[in-house]
Amino acid sequence: MSTEIDLGLGVLDHQLIDSEGRRCGNADDLELEGVREGEPRVVAILTGPAAWRGRGFFGRLAASVVRGDLVRIPWEEVAEIESGVHLRKTARELRLGRGDDRVRRWIEKLPGSSL
Amino acid sequence: MKNVFGIALGILAAIGGFVDIGDIVFNVAAGATFGYQLLWAVVLGVGGIITYAEMCGRVGAVSKTAVFDAVRERLGFGVGFVALLAGELVNLMTLAAEIGGVAIALQLLSGLSYRALLVLAVLVLALVLWLMPFQWIERIFGYCGLALLVFVVAAFKLHPDWGAVAHGFVPSTGSGNGWVYAYFLVGLAGAAMIPYEVYFYSSGAIEEQWGPKDLGLNRANAVIGYSLGGLLSFALMISAGALLLPQGINAELLGTAALVAEAPLGQAGLILALVGILFAVSGAAIDSAFAGAYSVAQFFGWEWGKYRHNAGAPRFTLAWMVMIVLAFLIVVTGVDPIMVTELSVIFSVVALPLTYIPILLVANDRAYMGNYANGVVANILGVFYLVVVLVIAVAAIPLLVLSNMGQG
Repeated sequence: MSTEIDLGLGVLDHQLIDSEGRRCGNADDLELEGVREGEPRVVAILTGPAAWRGRGFFGRLAASVVRGDLVRIPWEEVAEIESGVHLRKTARELRLGRGDDRVRRWIEKLPGSSL
Repeated sequence: MKNVFGIALGILAAIGGFVDIGDIVFNVAAGATFGYQLLWAVVLGVGGIITYAEMCGRVGAVSKTAVFDAVRERLGFGVGFVALLAGELVNLMTLAAEIGGVAIALQLLSGLSYRALLVLAVLVLALVLWLMPFQWIERIFGYCGLALLVFVVAAFKLHPDWGAVAHGFVPSTGSGNGWVYAYFLVGLAGAAMIPYEVYFYSSGAIEEQWGPKDLGLNRANAVIGYSLGGLLSFALMISAGALLLPQGINAELLGTAALVAEAPLGQAGLILALVGILFAVSGAAIDSAFAGAYSVAQFFGWEWGKYRHNAGAPRFTLAWMVMIVLAFLIVVTGVDPIMVTELSVIFSVVALPLTYIPILLVANDRAYMGNYANGVVANILGVFYLVVVLVIAVAAIPLLVLSNMGQG
C-alpha cells in the first residue's frame, strides 16, 4: 500500500466491518512484531473483551466485568482501511460478532423482529 | 422540486423535534422568574447545537463516523469509556424525565392516574420503536410537535413589552438573585445543547444513509430547523414572562406551561399546547432511548441502526429496551419528573465537553473528511462553543448547589 496510515489514529479503536458490510467489533488492540529488532510491524488486530486488558485501568475494569475471549485477526485479512477497517472474510469465518449472534437468537423469537 | 420539498419536510420535523422537556421546564421557569432577561441564553445554546449538529451530520454523511465512533477513536478506550458512562447516565436521566413528561401530559389530557399512564407511555414508546421505520418516527413526532407553535400565538396575544423582549436578547448579568440567574443561564444553554441530540443526529445521518450530496440538507436541517425550533423556546419564555411573572406564579409544574397557552387562547390553546408537549416530549424520549443504544453499540463495535431492522442489530435493540425499562423504574418510584429534568440538564452540561472535543477533532481531520473538513467559520464557532461548554461544565454543579436548584 502506498498511502501512509497512522496506526494509533487510523486503525486502533476503529470499527471492524466484514466482507458483507456487517459491523463486527472494534480494533481493540494491535499485535506487533519485531519491536526489539527495531523493525516493528503489525501482524494482527486483536478484538474482544479480553483484548481490553491491555487498554489501561478502565480497560482492565471493563474486561473484569464482561466475559468473552480474544479474537486474533491476522493482518492479511484486512482488505481496506477507510473510517472503518474492512475485512476480506465474513464475521462468521473470522469468529467475530458472536455476541450479536447470541442475542439475535432471543430477539428473533419476538413477533415483528424483521421490522 | 422534489428536493426542495424533501428539505422542507426535514426542516419541519427538526423544528417540531427541537423542544424537549428540559427546554419546556427551563424556559417557562426562567420566564416566570426573570421575565425576558435570559432570552440571550437560548440564542447562545441554539448557536451551539447548530454548530455541532451541522458538524457531526457532515462527519456522518462524509465518513460514516458517528459520535461514539469518534469518541472511541479519538479519546481511546480509557477516556472514551468515561465519556460513555457519563453519556449513558445522562441519556438515562433524560429518558426518565421525558417519560415522566409524557405521562404528565397524558394525565392533564385524560385525568387518569399518573402511574397507570407511565405504564401506558412506556408500552406505546416501546411499540413505536419496535414497529416503525426510522423516517416515520422522525416525521410523525416532529410534525405533531409543531402544535407547540400555539405558544408563538400565545406570546403575541399576551402583549409583552416588546422593548423589554428586545433587551433580553442582549447578554447581561441580570437583576435579582445572581446565583439563580447563573443557574438558569446554564440550564437554558444546556437544555438547548443536550448531548443526546448530537448522538442521535449523527447516527441519524447514517440511518438515513446520507452522503456528500446531502450536505445541503444537513446544513438546512441544522441551521433553519434548529433556529426555528429556538423560536419555540423564545415563545415559551416570553409567554411565561408576560403571564406568570406579574402574578408571581412559580412555574414548578408542567401544567403551568399549558396554562400559559390557555390564558390567552382558551380551551383550544390548552389542548394544542398539551398535544404539542405530548408529541415533542415523546419524540425526545424516543431520540434519547436510541441515543443511549447508539452510544454503547458504537463504543463496543456492535451492529447498530434501525435500518438494520430489529434482529439485524440485536444488541442495539436490546440496549434501547434496557434503557426504557431502567428509565421506567426511575420514574415509577414517584420521583418528581421536573426535578429529574433539571438534574438531567445540569449533569448533561458536565458530559458535553467529552462529546464535543472528538467531533471537532474528526471534523478537522482530512484523512476522514477530505475536502469536506471544517472551514474557518465552522472552526471559529466550534472552538468558541467548546470554550463556552467547558466554562458551563465547570460551573454547572456548583451553581446547582449555590442556587438551591434555582429556588434561591
